[in-house]
Amino acid sequence: MGLPAAIIFTGFYFVPFIANLRYSLTRWDRITEPEFVGFRNFVNLLTNDDLFYKVLGNNLRFTFLVVLFQTLFSLIFAIFLVKNTRTNIALRTLFFFPTILSSVSVGMIWLFMYDPNFGAINLFFTRLGLEGFALNWLGSESSALYAITFTQVWFHTGQMMVIYIAGLQQIPQELYEAAEMDGASRWQQFRNVTWPMSIPTTIVVMAYTTIQSFRAFDLIFAMTQGGPNNSSNIFAVLIYQTVFSELRIGYAATQSIFFIIVLVFVTLLQRKFLNSRYEK
Amino acid sequence: MIYKVSRIVSLFVFSILIIIPSLIVVFGSTKTDSEVYNKPLALPEKWSLDNFRFLFEVSNVGRSFLNSLIVTGFSVTITLILASMCAFAISRMITVTGRVLFSLFAVGLAIPGQVNLVPIFILFNDLQLTNKLSGLVLINIVTTLPISVFILTAFFRELPKEMYEVSEVDGATPLRVYRSIALPLSRPAMGATAIFLFVITWNELLFPLLLITDNDKRTLPLSLLSFRGEFFSNYSMIFTAVMVASIPMVVMYLLMQRSFIAGLTAGAVKG
Amino acid sequence: MKQKVNAKAFKALIAMAFAISATVVPLSQSFAAGESLGKSCTTEGLMTGTKSTSLICVKGGNDKLTWQRVKLASGSGRPVANLTPPKGEIEFWHYRVELGDQRALVKIISDFEAKYPGTKIKQVVRDTTTYNNTARVAILANPKAALFATSRGAIFDQFAKSDMMLDLSGQRYVKQNVVAKGLTAGQFEGKQLGIPYQYLFNNPIVNTDIWAKEKWTTPKNLTGWVNWCKDAKAKGYVPLAWPGATRGQAAQISNSALMNSAGSYNELANNLADLNSGKIDLTSKWFEGVADIYVKLRNAGCFPDNATGVTEAAAYNLFATGKSPILPIGTFAMGSIVGLNPNLNGKMELMSMVLTDGKVVAEGIMNNTYTLSVNKNSNSRDQKIANAFLSYLLTGKVAEIYANETLQHVNVLDVEYKNVNLLNTVSFQAKNTMLAPRFLLLNAAVSDLTQDALIQIVGGKSPDVVLPDFSKQIKQKLAG
Repeated sequence: MGLPAAIIFTGFYFVPFIANLRYSLTRWDRITEPEFVGFRNFVNLLTNDDLFYKVLGNNLRFTFLVVLFQTLFSLIFAIFLVKNTRTNIALRTLFFFPTILSSVSVGMIWLFMYDPNFGAINLFFTRLGLEGFALNWLGSESSALYAITFTQVWFHTGQMMVIYIAGLQQIPQELYEAAEMDGASRWQQFRNVTWPMSIPTTIVVMAYTTIQSFRAFDLIFAMTQGGPNNSSNIFAVLIYQTVFSELRIGYAATQSIFFIIVLVFVTLLQRKFLNSRYEK
Repeated sequence: MIYKVSRIVSLFVFSILIIIPSLIVVFGSTKTDSEVYNKPLALPEKWSLDNFRFLFEVSNVGRSFLNSLIVTGFSVTITLILASMCAFAISRMITVTGRVLFSLFAVGLAIPGQVNLVPIFILFNDLQLTNKLSGLVLINIVTTLPISVFILTAFFRELPKEMYEVSEVDGATPLRVYRSIALPLSRPAMGATAIFLFVITWNELLFPLLLITDNDKRTLPLSLLSFRGEFFSNYSMIFTAVMVASIPMVVMYLLMQRSFIAGLTAGAVKG
Repeated sequence: MKQKVNAKAFKALIAMAFAISATVVPLSQSFAAGESLGKSCTTEGLMTGTKSTSLICVKGGNDKLTWQRVKLASGSGRPVANLTPPKGEIEFWHYRVELGDQRALVKIISDFEAKYPGTKIKQVVRDTTTYNNTARVAILANPKAALFATSRGAIFDQFAKSDMMLDLSGQRYVKQNVVAKGLTAGQFEGKQLGIPYQYLFNNPIVNTDIWAKEKWTTPKNLTGWVNWCKDAKAKGYVPLAWPGATRGQAAQISNSALMNSAGSYNELANNLADLNSGKIDLTSKWFEGVADIYVKLRNAGCFPDNATGVTEAAAYNLFATGKSPILPIGTFAMGSIVGLNPNLNGKMELMSMVLTDGKVVAEGIMNNTYTLSVNKNSNSRDQKIANAFLSYLLTGKVAEIYANETLQHVNVLDVEYKNVNLLNTVSFQAKNTMLAPRFLLLNAAVSDLTQDALIQIVGGKSPDVVLPDFSKQIKQKLAG
């Protein structure tokens, strides 16, 4: 009974996966015949491609920041909104709302918000007399990636918050009562009860956020397409551009292989880190 | 005290951060472009649906809407059928096959199908599946199968084994057990998964961008992206298009908040 | 030549010729058939349009300026009617998916089919990317595709090298109906393998009201532009509404910068070909000169604040709201501008942007978007149908339908433009224009990085840093 799913999945996931390995050994523009070049793409990528390292750096930075802030904010909001009061439920509904929008919609909205001359953000800062904060958000190399990071966090914090709330509501109330009896402060309650008890949820949230950040193609493509000067480029966008703008199929295939390696590496590292915490 | 103040402040700030952009879009879709630019936060001078009418007139956003509906409908339905059958099989098989099946999709979950964009693009070209809605349905099924199998397997494993064993003793085939026992019981899980799949499929951009070039075959996110450059350089129109693309989701969300939140959370937790 | 006084046409002519004038008259009607002028001509080279009856102001034997019939076609004689097709059906392959194109072509084809019952033209339309990737191979294998489109540059060259296009240089309709100047983009090794149909100007457009109000005159050289920018900025304008965040449109002004960056078109074309192949890089003397133009314009305050964050939409808005007097993009933007601000209809002109203090090679930029060719491998009956339909497209009345629906200019004589903005810009063709040079960078990675480097410079970086950095990036792309 699992067969139809397994066949489709093998045919259109694993078979292409293998084909990708083969393409990575060629130079191919889809107009002329593919030319076998051995491991030249791999050598070029590692030794003669500053862009690759730049994108690698961007991608790791993006993932790190998104995972850090999204987890942090969603946990904080979850703690704030854990009780099922009417206001809290309304706020949860509101915070969750961006999750249902498409990345392209979110990208368009924030493209306007960040507009240096007309956008709401700079309007806000200049009205307050804080012209120094009115930056060229998406147009400047130093801020574009961070502006997109903010949007990504804005986009998905609500979703992660709901997961945390579900997790927090599982924590036995007696633990808090016992802590209160001991005269523990809120901070101590958090350190001794909430945080240790929510580590399993944190593992889920962080793993999901990591994958999500690697898949932020849609958002970045809609907002900056990786620019300016590739300062907000990540792997998925880079590979797309290598295929479609530059018609370098073989090289793009090589890039995807490194994409997978990095993704697996980051995931394993994270598992290891969190599991060690958990076991404590 | 510090707790209370910081709670109120941070909740307020995040609320504003969500409400303001939403209002800009809602108001923007009824404004003229220069109003959007010069008074982004003001109420429109006069509420009008001209932008919507114009959008449907000059672009084939209606067609894209239909395409999105078709693609999402078929993708979600087929994925659910395939995934639930597979999940049921996995949960019932303690044998090697079950474990192999499970790990097959585990790999797919850890390494999202997006990394395959180069070979998928070439394979779909060779199979002439580009510019076809059926091609999109196929790739959507492939990319959403792992997570669906995971959510549903977790659910089926929670069902008490006795329920199956009784009917197996009666000599029912696995397919029958699946249809008459597992499926009806899994309604809530299927519903949650369906919503999860609906949202991600409806909003998917990468594969349509890769595989669809025909104007008539575009899905909504793709149309939305093309509006930016092709027909308008005009934020009031872009916001109108954002509204059109989001309205079905928003309406469903408001009507079925609980299932939505449950669905989109299940996708993450069970994964 | 009739000598009837036609004041309206004359005023319009002045407006067109100078691209801007102190008293801009919105053109409400096209030139009447048999244009003529009551006054003696005052500016050499001034031309009344692209019709077989158009006039040009030239120096006569006695050194006086007089009006003469302009000769726009390569052959002599009035435009001819279209050829009659045999019965049968052919496929017409192209990539014009835009709404205006589709509306026009559907109408033109149904008119043609009604005129010649039994003859059928079937459109096969692909979007640009798919077309460029697949059409050559598909058409080679499909003789039914008797008429097809190619885009100027790399794609046309690929097709031409595959020996699949019929030489059309002997056709009368080519000699007599087509603007000769526009034929070059369809030539290959001395043969006329394609007829460039549509053209546009990737040249700055100007808000004539502002220009008149400020009493500005067109700057004549780079120094003039630098001074103009300072003046415009001091008066509170954003001199150039340049969209640094949208590479494709930010790149349009590079045409104007490149246009006079080398001693001749050929020299420029060679430089660009060398850059494209990696023979030279952005640190070459020539390109440093191009970069220096950007530096000078930047330092003069020509570009918007936070220029690299200005999207296409924002730039259009700057221009449409009158905050900016120049939109350095092209004629194809005029439709959107009118959409944003209907009051600007008829208030836009092209302006020649000479960004050198040295030798002027060209005054303006144009580009042929696509050329039409007849399939060499089709059978002779199908070739005849294709030829007949092509000649039909190249008659004034038919091309007019196409031009007015798509709001773009066509390379065909005797077209009456109904759209006021098309009308206002058509005479720019008579200037010494150059085919948009930036498209000579055929390698997309090289082209993108070159533009990105220029954008970085506008963003405030020094060419000393940017040019070596981007040269290295280009080198790495070419190695991959």
